[in-house]
Amino acid sequence: MAETPTARRWLGRLTYLAIALALTFAQLLPLETSPRAFAPPDLILAVTLVWVVRRPDFLPVPLIALVFFASDLLFQRPPGLWTALVLILTEIIRARASGLRSVPFGLEWATVAVGIFAITIANRAALAIVMTPQAPLTLSLIQMVMTILVYPVVVGVAYLLLGVHRPAPGAVDGLGHRL
Amino acid sequence: MARDKQDEDYVGPIRRLLVGLLVLVMFATFLIWRIDSPRVERFRAAVIDKVVPSFEWAMAPVTGVANLIADFQSYQRLAAQNGDLRRELQQMKAWKEAALQLEQENAKLLDLNNVRLDPQFTFVTGVVLADSGSPFRQSVLLNVGNRDGIVDGWPTMDGIGLIGRISGVGANTSRVILLTDTSSRIPVVIQPSGQRAVLVGDNTINPPVDFLENPDVVRPGDRVVTTGDGGVFPADLLVGQVAMGNDRRLRVRLSADFERLEFLRVLRSNPREAITDPGSLIEPDVALTPALAPVAQETEATDG
Repeated sequence: MAETPTARRWLGRLTYLAIALALTFAQLLPLETSPRAFAPPDLILAVTLVWVVRRPDFLPVPLIALVFFASDLLFQRPPGLWTALVLILTEIIRARASGLRSVPFGLEWATVAVGIFAITIANRAALAIVMTPQAPLTLSLIQMVMTILVYPVVVGVAYLLLGVHRPAPGAVDGLGHRL
Repeated sequence: MARDKQDEDYVGPIRRLLVGLLVLVMFATFLIWRIDSPRVERFRAAVIDKVVPSFEWAMAPVTGVANLIADFQSYQRLAAQNGDLRRELQQMKAWKEAALQLEQENAKLLDLNNVRLDPQFTFVTGVVLADSGSPFRQSVLLNVGNRDGIVDGWPTMDGIGLIGRISGVGANTSRVILLTDTSSRIPVVIQPSGQRAVLVGDNTINPPVDFLENPDVVRPGDRVVTTGDGGVFPADLLVGQVAMGNDRRLRVRLSADFERLEFLRVLRSNPREAITDPGSLIEPDVALTPALAPVAQETEATDG
């Protein structure tokens, strides 16, 4: 924490926004227009969860809402539902972030996996209740498992390339508050 | 720690309230979308219309490079492909001969019947800007929109077969829901038997045929074309061929190339004229009869 923490925090937020933009852009490329039997991981969700577990101060709620609502609109998802579920999940994880800081990685991964599982099921349940046509169940389960599996990879990449790590015990932000 | 507690006391509840409100707003958006879908979809189309074209400068080259790499990979299978193509060409030559003969016969028959094909059948060609970005939705975004006179519901084809239907038009972009999307339902007729059915998208490359009255008379290999039923689509656009799926359901092998969607044709389909007064068809109005008389004479003359 040699540079000012405030500048560092804004840099972290901008990095997150840039990554989200790049992932959205990559998904919109018209490369694969025939239906797939296989769903890739939801990378934007994985990145968001890594950030919120490791550095919740880089990830204010309005930023998450903005990114997910935009992707709801762009990716033809029912607008708002997925955003709301992700917001609830990130809030729950954020409240536990200080506790997750000291646990082994396996436990952190398990917590996140349970969260992803819960919002996937909640999403399908909500869509079923309002009787919206849905994608095949296998496809969303594949995507859920892939997202859970890709989580440690995103953690590694974020740690090695961007230096997103859990704050050291006793680290403080720009105003001197404990992180 | 004492400071922390103080912070929590006044920041925490307000923050929680605001986050709760945000979540509620999101759920409300979802419910409004469910209740009044067209309005929210128009909003979505407007947002996409603003956002995606601004990506285009970067998207076109990246897509180009990716396709180039895919093409390059296909060079590895060049010898095998060459053999396949030769064999296919041999078959095609036979078909071409048959097609030429049929074309001549068709032209003669059309001439005999004095048929005039619909002169208003024109199309607008658009370039695919982006896909749906999700494995659960099958749609593409075209670079033509309201400005080019695109209207919701028009059919879209590639050179050969039907691709889908316009659903959502912005000023400069429009979205095509592909036949493979789970929300796509197209009325079709299966050709030699004339069975009417509905083509139901289910997120697979070969969508199944549903609501078939008599599946026994339909065989794999039969042609599937659209019907004009309900005035939704123009009739006789090629969709594909019937095939038997692994699950013993009748599915359609689509004629259009869904692997590479690049340039698509949006057909201007005008709604057919509705006949409102059946009475005058059965018994012509008195005022109309003099006007009709010469026409009747003419047709008699041409018949003779």
